[in-house]
Amino acid sequence: MNRYRKRTFLTSREIAKTRAELAVSADRLDCNADLLAQMRQEVTEVLSKYFNTEEENLEIRMSFLCRWKRGISDVKTIQIK
Amino acid sequence: MSEVIVVTSGKGGVGKTTSTANIGAGLARLNKKVVLVDTDIGLRNLDVVMGLENRIIYNLVDVIEGNCRVKQALIRDRHYPGLYLLPSAQTRDKSAVTPEQMIKLADTLKQTFDYIILDCPAGIEQGFRNAVAPADRAIVVTTPEISAIRDADRIIGLLESSGLRKIDLVINRIRMDMVRRGEMMSVEDVLDILTINLIGAVPDEESVVVAANHGEPVLGSDSQAGEAYLNIARRIMGEAVPLLHLQEHTSLFHRIADLLGRRQ
Repeated sequence: MNRYRKRTFLTSREIAKTRAELAVSADRLDCNADLLAQMRQEVTEVLSKYFNTEEENLEIRMSFLCRWKRGISDVKTIQIK
Repeated sequence: MSEVIVVTSGKGGVGKTTSTANIGAGLARLNKKVVLVDTDIGLRNLDVVMGLENRIIYNLVDVIEGNCRVKQALIRDRHYPGLYLLPSAQTRDKSAVTPEQMIKLADTLKQTFDYIILDCPAGIEQGFRNAVAPADRAIVVTTPEISAIRDADRIIGLLESSGLRKIDLVINRIRMDMVRRGEMMSVEDVLDILTINLIGAVPDEESVVVAANHGEPVLGSDSQAGEAYLNIARRIMGEAVPLLHLQEHTSLFHRIADLLGRRQ
C-alpha cells in the first residue's frame, strides 16, 4: 500500500532528480551511494541525540575546502538530501 | 582579442558536435571570424554535421605533422563567409597529437580568428586532454538525463582542476511538454545539481534533426532551437540576453489531455 502511494505521488522527474543528486554527490565524495546512505543514517542518529529532528526534514550539507592548482582556494558544498 | 573555447560533455551523444556547429554559425552570423576544430581523431563528425565532408583534403594531423600549412587544411563554410572548419583525421588515433601541439596550433589560429571552438571527443582520456589544453573557457553540454548530468559533473571537476575558471553549461534536448507532465527534469532541476552558470537551454526539436540531415546549421531556420543557439553565441560575446521562454506548440486537444493526465 505504502509503495503504491509513493508511486502515485512521485513523478519520474522527482525520482530522476533525487537519483542524479545522489550519483553526483557520491562521485564528488569518491564514495558509493550505499556508503553515503549509511553515513547519512549515522549522522542523523548522532544529531537526533542532541536536537529534536525529524529525519524527513533533515538536509545534510558538507563543505570541502578545495585547493586549486593555481593556489586559489574555493569551497565546494555537497548536499545530501 | 581571440578566445579558445572547448565544447565538451563527458558522455557521448548529448549534442556536442551539433552545439559546436551551431554556436560557430551563430558567432559567424554576428560577424565574427570563427574556426571550428574537430579534435575527435579517428571518429570525425563535425564535417558531416556541417555538410563539408566532400571538401576535406588535409586534416588536423596533417597540420600538426607539418604536411601542409594551416590555411590549406581550413574549409570555408557554405553559408557563413566567416566560418571555417579544421577537420579531424579519420585514419589515425588520439595519440597522434599531444596537448602541447594543440596549444601551438591554437596560438597559430588566434592570429586569424576571433573564436577558436574545439569540438571535444566523448570520454576523459587523451582526446579530452588534447582539446582542453589550449582552452580559455569551456562549454559543457548536458541533457536532462541522470547519466549525462553525472558525466557533466565529473567533467566540470576535471576542468576546474585543470585551472579553467570560465565554465558554462548548455542544457540540450529539453522537452517542455514532458517537464510539465513531471516526466523530465527541468532547467532549474539540472542547475540545482550542477551549480554552474547556464549559458543556454536548447529545446529538443525535429528541426535540429532535419538540419543535420541536410548538413546545415539549425540556426537561421525558423525554430526555437536555432534561436537558442544564436542567444548562446550572443552570451559568449558578453551580451546579456534573457533566457528564451521555452514553450511547446501543442494543440488545444493535447493541452486538455495534459490537464486531465495531471489530475489522475
